[in-house]
Amino acid sequence: MSGRPRPAATSRASDRLRRLLVLVPYLVKHPGTELSEITRLFGVREDELTSDLNLLFVSGLPPYGPGDLIGVAIEDGRVWIEMADYFARPLRLTRAEALALYLRGTALAVTPGLREATALASALRKLEERLGPETLGELAERVEAAEDGRPSETLDALRKAVATNGRVRIEYYAASSAETTAREVDPEEVFFAIGNWYVAAFDHRSGEERLFRADRIRSVEPTGEGFEPRGLAGAGRALYTPTERDVPVKLLLHPAARWVAEYYEVDAETEGAGGDLEVQLPASRLEWVARLVLRLGGEAEVLSPPELKDRVRELASRTKELYE
Amino acid sequence: MHPLERLVNLVALLLESRRPLTFEQIRTKMPEGYGQDDLQSAKRMFERDKDVLRDVGVPIEVIATDAWEVEQGYAILKDRYYLPEIDFTPEEISALFVAAHAGGPDDAAEQAVRKLLYGTDGGLVAGAASAPLAAEAGAVDARLTAAAEAIAERRSVRFAYRTSRGVESERHVDPWGLVFRAGHWYLVGLDRERDEIRAFRLSRAGGELRLDGEAGPPPEGFRAVEHVVVGPFGPGEPEERATVAFSPDVAWWATRGVLGALIQDTRSDGWVKVSLPAAPGDALASWILSFGPDAVAVAPESLRAEIVHRLEAARR
Repeated sequence: MSGRPRPAATSRASDRLRRLLVLVPYLVKHPGTELSEITRLFGVREDELTSDLNLLFVSGLPPYGPGDLIGVAIEDGRVWIEMADYFARPLRLTRAEALALYLRGTALAVTPGLREATALASALRKLEERLGPETLGELAERVEAAEDGRPSETLDALRKAVATNGRVRIEYYAASSAETTAREVDPEEVFFAIGNWYVAAFDHRSGEERLFRADRIRSVEPTGEGFEPRGLAGAGRALYTPTERDVPVKLLLHPAARWVAEYYEVDAETEGAGGDLEVQLPASRLEWVARLVLRLGGEAEVLSPPELKDRVRELASRTKELYE
Repeated sequence: MHPLERLVNLVALLLESRRPLTFEQIRTKMPEGYGQDDLQSAKRMFERDKDVLRDVGVPIEVIATDAWEVEQGYAILKDRYYLPEIDFTPEEISALFVAAHAGGPDDAAEQAVRKLLYGTDGGLVAGAASAPLAAEAGAVDARLTAAAEAIAERRSVRFAYRTSRGVESERHVDPWGLVFRAGHWYLVGLDRERDEIRAFRLSRAGGELRLDGEAGPPPEGFRAVEHVVVGPFGPGEPEERATVAFSPDVAWWATRGVLGALIQDTRSDGWVKVSLPAAPGDALASWILSFGPDAVAVAPESLRAEIVHRLEAARR
């Protein structure tokens, strides 16, 4: 919520009020909660929190007789709130809040291999039952998620290696070079993005940080060595990291090949005549782009670089031999 | 007086009052808030405060204070204000916490879970909030929220839609369901102009969804998910099976990662013959070609012909 410019003091007051009407009931029910815990759970900085609590100290139920003011105590990094019975329960979820959480939860619940899946499903059922049609409308019975993928069998071994900072030897099928190779990696985070599980790891084969798609990891074998985490970022990062070795590739996509622009990260796209789309995408190796053009048959044309055209022709000839 | 303090006091006052209070009564009870000499400016401040409360989601109501409805008072009804009791286990609330924070920031989802935190005793499961989040839910954007609200309120929607083949047109749809499948959200409903049930991938809707009139009810036994079919190689219902051989480099991946794949035999050179569900159209041919010379279609003949046709096109 922070970081965005706010137009006026009143909207800042509304953000703070929104926070207080949730925070106060929590603290009434959970006396002595640590400040650090509150900042973590409620996404608020400690200075914002203390200024909110100080203000609360002079608030209360008009006409503010003895016993009408809210009592706030902060001691040894813990918070107590008293005399706020009317705020002893939080404000209802707005429809927008309920929808946002319900939709996110529904989508997440079908992630194959998600450890939280069972708990999430029962939490969503409770939301449906308790919030009811008043907040969710008819939505609960109208939203569905379908589970399609299969959990990768290597996930557990990878998670264990991440948790114990253990180096592992993996066999990996790299789509960029279309080869299965063995390498030693230091895995730091397992995360899910756009339909697949990934592991962020330091790769000793290339001497660089890499992302590995978990379903392309054939085997995971602990080497017995440990490693010092380097603080590699996982969830939320871009799946493709541009490097200076990247070659800009230009393709002309006919209508049946337009899905490429939705599926891969493209740097630029220009609409052409008759539903054609010209795209530019970054590639550090031409091998996977050549295979992509191959699968598109005549539905995509290589505009540049010229060596990609040669690569596609060569690949097509070698593949065609298999059919003779 | 700080505006926040005034707002907190106003909520407390209206929540605790047994009767609706007129502005005059509120002004008397909160002189430090609305007691200034200029009645008009006090009234304007009260109106602004009311707007803030509504924006925050406080259900402030206007109720007549006498039978002749001459005077109006303001009230916050407790049963419309307070969250109903919902007890979550630490595992459940942690899972919701992960969901709210997965896939980029979302103020509304995060605020929702903060409200629900109240109903748990054990706090979060260790690691749920501090560890990097392990998953990403399908991003919830304005189009998805608008579609959800339209369904909840039984309203029809209009939007610009571009098909996967790039054809753009204006659609008018009675929205009957939302489906999350293979990483994307789909709106399923009656396309009024085409008079057919269609699925629309929301990421392909341009601009915003506009509400437009009442929506008709879905037919008996309607299930949205049945209208969004995605096979292993893309959309489409698998009808028959195909046989494909893979080189040793990719065979393990092609057999383990694909739903419904059955190994038939392994040749002495390490190539593996696999039986796969085949989607209609050319999606399977395209997928096999993505392996280049590491895969070859064995059967049916129509599949082989399609692949050879594409290879010739790619060689030109």
